Amino acid sequence: MGLVESGKLPKPLTSLLNTARKYSLWAYQWGLACCAIEMGAAFASPRYDVMRLGVIPLPASPRQADVVVISGTVTDKMVPAIKRLYEQMADPKYVISMGACTNCGGPYWDSYSVTKGVDQVVPVDVYIPGCPPRPEALLEGIVLLQQRIGREDPAERWRGDPLVVQ
Amino acid sequence: MSDATGTTTDATTTEAQDAQDTETDELRQGWLDTLSEALGDAVIGSHIAPGRTLWVRVARDAWFDAAEAAKGRLGCTFFDFLSAIDWMPSPWGRYEYSAVDVGIKPFDPTAPLATGVAGGDTRFQLFCRVVNVRKPDGHPVEVILKADLPDEDLRARSLVPLYGGANWHERECWEMFGITFDGHPGLRHLYLPGEFEGHPLRKDFPLLARLVKPWPGIVDVEPMPGEPEAAEPAANGAGDGDAGGGAT
Repeated sequence: MGLVESGKLPKPLTSLLNTARKYSLWAYQWGLACCAIEMGAAFASPRYDVMRLGVIPLPASPRQADVVVISGTVTDKMVPAIKRLYEQMADPKYVISMGACTNCGGPYWDSYSVTKGVDQVVPVDVYIPGCPPRPEALLEGIVLLQQRIGREDPAERWRGDPLVVQ
Repeated sequence: MSDATGTTTDATTTEAQDAQDTETDELRQGWLDTLSEALGDAVIGSHIAPGRTLWVRVARDAWFDAAEAAKGRLGCTFFDFLSAIDWMPSPWGRYEYSAVDVGIKPFDPTAPLATGVAGGDTRFQLFCRVVNVRKPDGHPVEVILKADLPDEDLRARSLVPLYGGANWHERECWEMFGITFDGHPGLRHLYLPGEFEGHPLRKDFPLLARLVKPWPGIVDVEPMPGEPEAAEPAANGAGDGDAGGGAT
Protein backbone atom coordinates (compact mmCIF):
# COMPACT_ATOMS: atom_id res chain seq x y z
CA MET A 1 0.00 0.00 0.00
CA GLY A 2 2.26 2.71 -1.18
CA LEU A 3 -0.58 5.20 -1.01
CA VAL A 4 -1.13 4.57 2.64
CA GLU A 5 2.54 4.84 3.51
CA SER A 6 2.79 8.11 1.69
CA GLY A 7 0.02 9.40 3.91
CA LYS A 8 -2.00 10.69 1.00
CA LEU A 9 -4.96 8.43 0.66
CA PRO A 10 -7.63 9.85 -1.62
CA LYS A 11 -10.90 10.38 0.20
CA PRO A 12 -13.00 8.15 -2.05
CA LEU A 13 -10.50 5.35 -1.55
CA THR A 14 -10.66 5.83 2.21
CA SER A 15 -14.42 5.67 2.07
CA LEU A 16 -14.32 2.56 -0.05
CA LEU A 17 -11.83 0.84 2.23
CA ASN A 18 -13.83 1.72 5.32
CA THR A 19 -17.06 0.53 3.81
CA ALA A 20 -15.42 -2.74 2.91
CA ARG A 21 -13.97 -3.12 6.38
CA LYS A 22 -17.06 -2.26 8.34
CA TYR A 23 -19.31 -4.68 6.49
CA SER A 24 -16.98 -7.63 6.80
CA LEU A 25 -16.24 -7.69 10.49
CA TRP A 26 -14.99 -10.99 11.73
CA ALA A 27 -16.05 -11.11 15.34
CA TYR A 28 -14.27 -13.35 17.79
CA GLN A 29 -16.47 -14.52 20.64
CA TRP A 30 -14.89 -14.30 24.06
CA GLY A 31 -17.75 -15.38 26.27
CA LEU A 32 -16.83 -15.59 29.94
CA ALA A 33 -20.14 -15.70 31.78
CA CYS A 34 -23.89 -15.33 31.39
CA CYS A 35 -23.59 -12.47 28.87
CA ALA A 36 -22.24 -15.06 26.47
CA ILE A 37 -25.74 -16.55 26.28
CA GLU A 38 -27.04 -13.26 24.93
CA MET A 39 -24.06 -13.02 22.64
CA GLY A 40 -24.84 -16.50 21.39
CA ALA A 41 -28.44 -15.50 20.78
CA ALA A 42 -27.31 -12.49 18.78
CA PHE A 43 -24.59 -14.28 16.84
CA ALA A 44 -25.94 -17.75 16.29
CA SER A 45 -29.70 -17.44 16.00
CA PRO A 46 -31.69 -16.66 12.85
CA ARG A 47 -33.94 -14.40 14.91
CA TYR A 48 -31.29 -11.69 15.21
CA ASP A 49 -29.21 -12.70 12.21
CA VAL A 50 -26.03 -10.76 12.80
CA MET A 51 -24.75 -11.66 9.35
CA ARG A 52 -27.11 -9.14 7.79
CA LEU A 53 -24.82 -6.53 9.36
CA GLY A 54 -21.85 -8.12 7.67
CA VAL A 55 -20.53 -9.69 10.84
CA ILE A 56 -19.09 -13.16 10.58
CA PRO A 57 -19.08 -14.49 14.11
CA LEU A 58 -17.02 -17.63 13.62
CA PRO A 59 -13.36 -16.93 12.87
CA ALA A 60 -11.17 -19.92 13.45
CA SER A 61 -8.66 -18.00 15.52
CA PRO A 62 -8.07 -14.53 16.90
CA ARG A 63 -5.59 -14.00 14.08
CA GLN A 64 -8.47 -13.87 11.62
CA ALA A 65 -10.62 -11.60 13.75
CA ASP A 66 -11.23 -7.86 13.36
CA VAL A 67 -13.23 -7.43 16.52
CA VAL A 68 -13.44 -9.37 19.76
CA VAL A 69 -16.59 -9.29 21.86
CA ILE A 70 -15.60 -9.77 25.48
CA SER A 71 -18.76 -10.69 27.33
CA GLY A 72 -18.85 -11.74 30.94
CA THR A 73 -16.93 -11.48 34.16
CA VAL A 74 -13.24 -10.90 33.63
CA THR A 75 -11.20 -12.22 36.52
CA ASP A 76 -7.64 -11.34 37.34
CA LYS A 77 -6.69 -14.88 36.46
CA MET A 78 -8.21 -14.48 32.99
CA VAL A 79 -6.38 -11.22 32.29
CA PRO A 80 -3.19 -12.76 30.82
CA ALA A 81 -5.30 -14.78 28.37
CA ILE A 82 -7.17 -11.65 27.26
CA LYS A 83 -3.92 -9.75 26.74
CA ARG A 84 -2.58 -12.62 24.69
CA LEU A 85 -5.76 -12.82 22.66
CA TYR A 86 -5.59 -9.12 21.91
CA GLU A 87 -1.96 -9.30 20.92
CA GLN A 88 -2.71 -12.15 18.54
CA MET A 89 -5.26 -10.13 16.59
CA ALA A 90 -4.04 -8.31 13.53
CA ASP A 91 -4.26 -4.53 13.42
CA PRO A 92 -6.66 -2.77 12.86
CA LYS A 93 -8.48 -4.45 15.71
CA TYR A 94 -11.45 -3.49 17.82
CA VAL A 95 -12.83 -4.53 21.20
CA ILE A 96 -16.46 -4.58 22.26
CA SER A 97 -16.98 -4.82 26.00
CA MET A 98 -20.35 -6.38 26.63
CA GLY A 99 -22.14 -6.26 29.97
CA ALA A 100 -21.72 -4.64 33.34
CA CYS A 101 -19.04 -7.06 34.53
CA THR A 102 -16.80 -6.48 31.56
CA ASN A 103 -17.36 -2.73 31.64
CA CYS A 104 -16.61 -2.09 35.30
CA GLY A 105 -16.84 -5.24 37.40
CA GLY A 106 -20.62 -5.01 37.66
CA PRO A 107 -22.16 -6.73 40.66
CA TYR A 108 -18.71 -8.06 41.52
CA TRP A 109 -17.27 -4.57 41.91
CA ASP A 110 -15.87 -5.39 45.36
CA SER A 111 -14.67 -8.90 44.67
CA TYR A 112 -11.10 -9.94 45.38
CA SER A 113 -10.86 -11.74 42.07
CA VAL A 114 -12.77 -9.74 39.45
CA THR A 115 -11.08 -7.17 37.24
CA LYS A 116 -12.80 -3.82 37.54
CA GLY A 117 -13.34 -3.34 33.86
CA VAL A 118 -11.56 -4.93 30.94
CA ASP A 119 -10.51 -1.46 29.78
CA GLN A 120 -7.77 -1.66 32.40
CA VAL A 121 -6.21 -4.33 30.25
CA VAL A 122 -7.05 -3.67 26.61
CA PRO A 123 -8.40 -0.57 24.87
CA VAL A 124 -12.16 -0.80 24.41
CA ASP A 125 -13.99 0.73 21.47
CA VAL A 126 -17.63 0.13 22.40
CA TYR A 127 -19.14 -0.45 25.83
CA ILE A 128 -22.51 -2.16 25.98
CA PRO A 129 -24.28 -1.65 29.31
CA GLY A 130 -26.71 -4.14 30.76
CA CYS A 131 -26.78 -7.14 33.03
CA PRO A 132 -26.95 -8.86 30.67
CA PRO A 133 -27.59 -6.68 27.61
CA ARG A 134 -30.24 -7.92 25.25
CA PRO A 135 -29.05 -9.25 21.89
CA GLU A 136 -30.43 -6.09 20.30
CA ALA A 137 -28.04 -4.08 22.45
CA LEU A 138 -25.13 -6.05 21.07
CA LEU A 139 -26.40 -5.43 17.55
CA GLU A 140 -26.55 -1.72 18.31
CA GLY A 141 -23.02 -1.86 19.66
CA ILE A 142 -21.88 -3.44 16.42
CA VAL A 143 -23.64 -0.73 14.43
CA LEU A 144 -21.90 1.92 16.55
CA LEU A 145 -18.58 0.24 15.89
CA GLN A 146 -19.33 0.20 12.18
CA GLN A 147 -20.09 3.92 12.26
CA ARG A 148 -16.79 4.48 13.98
CA ILE A 149 -14.92 2.41 11.44
CA GLY A 150 -16.66 4.32 8.68
CA ARG A 151 -15.27 7.61 10.01
CA GLU A 152 -11.76 6.31 10.53
CA ASP A 153 -8.75 7.42 8.58
CA PRO A 154 -6.99 4.11 7.95
CA ALA A 155 -3.85 5.86 6.76
CA GLU A 156 -3.47 7.49 10.12
CA ARG A 157 -4.10 4.28 11.95
CA TRP A 158 -1.75 2.27 9.79
CA ARG A 159 1.01 4.86 9.98
CA GLY A 160 0.88 4.94 13.75
CA ASP A 161 2.65 2.67 16.14
CA PRO A 162 1.02 -0.70 16.51
CA LEU A 163 -1.12 -1.01 19.58
CA VAL A 164 0.73 -3.11 22.11
CA VAL A 165 -0.61 -3.94 25.53
CA GLN A 166 1.86 -3.24 28.27
CA MET B 1 -27.03 -34.18 47.79
CA SER B 2 -28.51 -37.63 47.87
CA ASP B 3 -29.13 -37.29 51.56
CA ALA B 4 -30.97 -34.04 51.07
CA THR B 5 -33.30 -35.80 48.68
CA GLY B 6 -34.06 -38.36 51.31
CA THR B 7 -34.72 -35.62 53.84
CA THR B 8 -37.26 -33.83 51.73
CA THR B 9 -39.20 -37.00 51.19
CA ASP B 10 -39.07 -37.88 54.87
CA ALA B 11 -39.97 -34.52 56.31
CA THR B 12 -41.79 -32.15 54.08
CA THR B 13 -43.07 -30.02 56.93
CA THR B 14 -41.26 -28.48 59.86
CA GLU B 15 -43.60 -30.26 62.25
CA ALA B 16 -42.49 -33.56 60.89
CA GLN B 17 -38.90 -32.44 61.17
CA ASP B 18 -39.35 -31.37 64.78
CA ALA B 19 -40.93 -34.69 65.57
CA GLN B 20 -37.94 -36.37 64.01
CA ASP B 21 -35.50 -34.40 66.10
CA THR B 22 -36.98 -35.81 69.29
CA GLU B 23 -36.54 -39.31 67.98
CA THR B 24 -33.46 -41.34 68.53
CA ASP B 25 -31.38 -42.51 65.67
CA GLU B 26 -29.87 -45.89 66.35
CA LEU B 27 -27.89 -46.00 63.13
CA ARG B 28 -26.15 -42.70 63.68
CA GLN B 29 -25.70 -43.36 67.39
CA GLY B 30 -24.04 -46.59 66.40
CA TRP B 31 -21.78 -44.72 63.99
CA LEU B 32 -20.84 -42.29 66.74
CA ASP B 33 -20.05 -45.15 69.09
CA THR B 34 -17.92 -46.78 66.42
CA LEU B 35 -15.97 -43.57 65.86
CA SER B 36 -15.57 -43.03 69.62
CA GLU B 37 -14.27 -46.55 69.97
CA ALA B 38 -11.80 -46.04 67.15
CA LEU B 39 -10.58 -42.62 68.22
CA GLY B 40 -10.97 -42.66 72.00
CA ASP B 41 -10.64 -39.25 73.58
CA ALA B 42 -10.08 -37.60 70.23
CA VAL B 43 -13.84 -37.28 69.74
CA ILE B 44 -14.53 -33.94 71.40
CA GLY B 45 -18.10 -33.23 70.46
CA SER B 46 -20.93 -34.57 68.41
CA HIS B 47 -24.44 -33.86 67.32
CA ILE B 48 -27.08 -36.06 65.76
CA ALA B 49 -29.99 -34.80 63.75
CA PRO B 50 -32.07 -37.97 63.68
CA GLY B 51 -32.75 -39.21 60.21
CA ARG B 52 -30.55 -36.53 58.72
CA THR B 53 -26.97 -35.93 59.74
CA LEU B 54 -24.26 -36.82 62.18
CA TRP B 55 -21.64 -34.24 63.13
CA VAL B 56 -18.47 -35.36 64.88
CA ARG B 57 -15.90 -32.94 66.16
CA VAL B 58 -12.48 -34.48 66.57
CA ALA B 59 -9.10 -33.32 67.77
CA ARG B 60 -6.93 -31.86 65.07
CA ASP B 61 -4.31 -34.60 65.53
CA ALA B 62 -6.95 -37.24 64.89
CA TRP B 63 -8.24 -35.62 61.70
CA PHE B 64 -6.78 -38.22 59.40
CA ASP B 65 -7.62 -41.11 61.73
CA ALA B 66 -11.22 -39.95 61.92
CA ALA B 67 -11.53 -39.94 58.16
CA GLU B 68 -9.82 -43.32 57.99
CA ALA B 69 -12.27 -44.75 60.52
CA ALA B 70 -15.19 -43.24 58.66
CA LYS B 71 -14.01 -44.83 55.45
CA GLY B 72 -12.90 -48.16 56.85
CA ARG B 73 -15.41 -48.84 59.60
CA LEU B 74 -18.45 -46.88 58.49
CA GLY B 75 -18.13 -47.50 54.79
CA CYS B 76 -18.07 -43.80 53.89
CA THR B 77 -16.32 -44.27 50.60
CA PHE B 78 -17.73 -41.19 48.90
CA PHE B 79 -15.84 -37.99 49.63
CA ASP B 80 -18.20 -35.07 49.24
CA PHE B 81 -16.26 -31.97 50.20
CA LEU B 82 -13.62 -30.53 52.45
CA SER B 83 -13.59 -26.91 53.45
CA ALA B 84 -13.13 -24.58 56.37
CA ILE B 85 -15.11 -21.91 58.15
CA ASP B 86 -13.76 -18.71 59.61
CA TRP B 87 -16.17 -18.05 62.46
CA MET B 88 -14.91 -14.57 63.18
CA PRO B 89 -17.60 -11.94 62.57
CA SER B 90 -16.33 -9.83 59.74
CA PRO B 91 -15.28 -6.34 60.79
CA TRP B 92 -15.66 -5.09 57.23
CA GLY B 93 -18.59 -3.64 55.44
CA ARG B 94 -20.66 -2.72 58.50
CA TYR B 95 -21.09 0.86 57.36
CA GLU B 96 -23.56 -0.27 54.79
CA TYR B 97 -26.13 -1.33 57.34
CA SER B 98 -28.94 1.14 57.19
CA ALA B 99 -31.97 2.06 59.24
CA VAL B 100 -34.07 -0.27 57.14
CA ASP B 101 -32.09 -3.28 58.29
CA VAL B 102 -33.38 -4.89 61.42
CA GLY B 103 -31.83 -7.32 63.81
CA ILE B 104 -28.22 -6.57 62.98
CA LYS B 105 -26.04 -6.19 66.00
CA PRO B 106 -23.02 -3.89 66.05
CA PHE B 107 -19.67 -5.52 65.62
CA ASP B 108 -18.25 -6.62 68.94
CA PRO B 109 -14.73 -8.02 68.63
CA THR B 110 -14.86 -9.46 72.15
CA ALA B 111 -18.06 -11.43 71.66
CA PRO B 112 -17.69 -15.20 71.81
CA LEU B 113 -17.61 -16.93 68.47
CA ALA B 114 -20.61 -18.81 67.24
CA THR B 115 -19.35 -22.16 66.11
CA GLY B 116 -22.39 -24.12 64.95
CA VAL B 117 -23.36 -27.63 65.88
CA ALA B 118 -20.93 -29.81 67.82
CA GLY B 119 -19.24 -26.68 69.14
CA GLY B 120 -15.79 -25.27 68.64
CA ASP B 121 -13.05 -23.41 70.44
CA THR B 122 -11.12 -21.75 67.66
CA ARG B 123 -11.70 -19.25 64.92
CA PHE B 124 -10.96 -21.68 62.12
CA GLN B 125 -12.64 -25.02 61.75
CA LEU B 126 -11.96 -27.66 59.18
CA PHE B 127 -14.92 -29.51 57.70
CA CYS B 128 -15.24 -32.69 55.75
CA ARG B 129 -18.35 -34.55 54.64
CA VAL B 130 -18.12 -38.18 53.68
CA VAL B 131 -21.01 -40.39 52.71
CA ASN B 132 -21.82 -44.07 52.78
CA VAL B 133 -23.59 -44.48 49.48
CA ARG B 134 -24.58 -48.10 50.05
CA LYS B 135 -27.83 -46.94 51.65
CA PRO B 136 -27.51 -48.46 55.13
CA ASP B 137 -30.62 -46.52 56.12
CA GLY B 138 -32.56 -46.91 52.92
CA HIS B 139 -30.72 -43.93 51.54
CA PRO B 140 -27.13 -42.70 51.66
CA VAL B 141 -25.92 -41.75 55.13
CA GLU B 142 -23.37 -39.04 55.77
CA VAL B 143 -21.05 -37.97 58.52
CA ILE B 144 -19.59 -34.48 58.82
CA LEU B 145 -16.22 -34.29 60.52
CA LYS B 146 -15.05 -31.08 62.14
CA ALA B 147 -11.72 -30.14 63.66
CA ASP B 148 -10.60 -27.02 65.46
CA LEU B 149 -7.44 -25.39 64.17
CA PRO B 150 -5.46 -23.12 66.48
CA ASP B 151 -4.76 -19.70 64.96
CA GLU B 152 -1.00 -19.93 65.38
CA ASP B 153 -0.71 -23.33 63.71
CA LEU B 154 -3.16 -23.68 60.86
CA ARG B 155 -2.33 -27.11 59.61
CA ALA B 156 -3.82 -30.57 59.42
CA ARG B 157 -2.91 -33.88 57.88
CA SER B 158 -3.90 -34.25 54.27
CA LEU B 159 -6.69 -36.68 53.40
CA VAL B 160 -5.36 -37.26 49.90
CA PRO B 161 -3.92 -40.73 50.71
CA LEU B 162 -7.45 -41.76 51.72
CA TYR B 163 -9.59 -39.82 49.28
CA GLY B 164 -7.99 -38.76 46.01
CA GLY B 165 -10.80 -36.27 45.55
CA ALA B 166 -9.57 -34.28 48.52
CA ASN B 167 -6.65 -33.00 46.47
CA TRP B 168 -8.29 -29.95 44.90
CA HIS B 169 -10.46 -29.29 47.94
CA GLU B 170 -7.36 -29.00 50.08
CA ARG B 171 -5.65 -26.79 47.53
CA GLU B 172 -8.64 -24.47 47.56
CA CYS B 173 -8.78 -24.50 51.34
CA TRP B 174 -5.08 -23.76 51.47
CA GLU B 175 -5.23 -20.71 49.24
CA MET B 176 -8.54 -19.35 50.53
CA PHE B 177 -7.92 -19.80 54.27
CA GLY B 178 -4.19 -20.32 54.57
CA ILE B 179 -4.53 -23.79 56.08
CA THR B 180 -1.61 -26.08 55.31
CA PHE B 181 -2.14 -29.76 54.69
CA ASP B 182 0.78 -31.98 55.63
CA GLY B 183 1.44 -34.70 53.12
CA HIS B 184 -0.43 -33.06 50.28
CA PRO B 185 1.24 -33.93 46.96
CA GLY B 186 1.30 -30.36 45.64
CA LEU B 187 -0.10 -27.36 47.47
CA ARG B 188 -0.29 -24.65 44.85
CA HIS B 189 -2.88 -22.14 43.73
CA LEU B 190 -6.03 -23.56 42.22
CA TYR B 191 -8.33 -20.59 41.60
CA LEU B 192 -6.22 -17.57 42.39
CA PRO B 193 -3.51 -16.11 40.17
CA GLY B 194 -0.07 -17.25 41.21
CA GLU B 195 1.04 -13.91 42.59
CA PHE B 196 -2.07 -13.37 44.71
CA GLU B 197 -1.34 -12.27 48.27
CA GLY B 198 -3.58 -13.00 51.20
CA HIS B 199 -6.36 -15.46 51.88
CA PRO B 200 -9.59 -14.01 50.55
CA LEU B 201 -12.09 -16.16 52.42
CA ARG B 202 -10.73 -15.10 55.79
CA LYS B 203 -13.15 -12.70 57.38
CA ASP B 204 -10.46 -10.12 58.02
CA PHE B 205 -9.40 -10.03 54.37
CA PRO B 206 -10.15 -6.44 53.35
CA LEU B 207 -12.19 -5.82 50.22
CA LEU B 208 -10.26 -2.79 49.04
CA ALA B 209 -13.02 -1.61 46.73
CA ARG B 210 -15.32 -1.25 49.73
CA LEU B 211 -12.72 0.63 51.72
CA VAL B 212 -12.42 3.37 49.12
CA LYS B 213 -16.07 3.50 48.10
CA PRO B 214 -19.18 2.73 50.14
CA TRP B 215 -21.50 0.16 48.72
CA PRO B 216 -23.33 2.04 45.96
CA GLY B 217 -26.55 0.12 46.52
CA ILE B 218 -27.12 1.78 49.86
CA VAL B 219 -28.00 5.14 48.33
CA ASP B 220 -30.86 3.50 46.50
CA VAL B 221 -32.63 2.29 49.62
CA GLU B 222 -36.05 3.88 49.82
CA PRO B 223 -38.71 3.42 52.48
CA MET B 224 -41.61 1.19 51.59
CA PRO B 225 -44.66 3.08 50.35
CA GLY B 226 -47.01 3.90 53.18
CA GLU B 227 -44.37 3.54 55.84
CA PRO B 228 -42.97 6.51 57.74
CA GLU B 229 -39.54 7.71 56.71
CA ALA B 230 -36.76 5.95 58.51
CA ALA B 231 -35.27 8.04 61.30
CA GLU B 232 -31.86 7.94 59.75
CA PRO B 233 -31.92 7.83 56.01
CA ALA B 234 -30.09 5.24 54.07
CA ALA B 235 -26.89 7.16 53.58
CA ASN B 236 -25.87 6.36 57.14
CA GLY B 237 -22.10 6.29 57.18
CA ALA B 238 -21.99 6.47 53.40
CA GLY B 239 -19.22 9.02 53.64
CA ASP B 240 -17.57 7.04 56.35
CA GLY B 241 -14.38 5.72 54.93
CA ASP B 242 -13.64 3.80 58.11
CA ALA B 243 -15.32 0.54 57.40
CA GLY B 244 -15.02 -0.81 60.89
CA GLY B 245 -16.49 2.09 62.83
CA GLY B 246 -19.76 2.87 61.15
CA ALA B 247 -21.94 0.22 62.73
CA THR B 248 -25.45 1.35 63.52
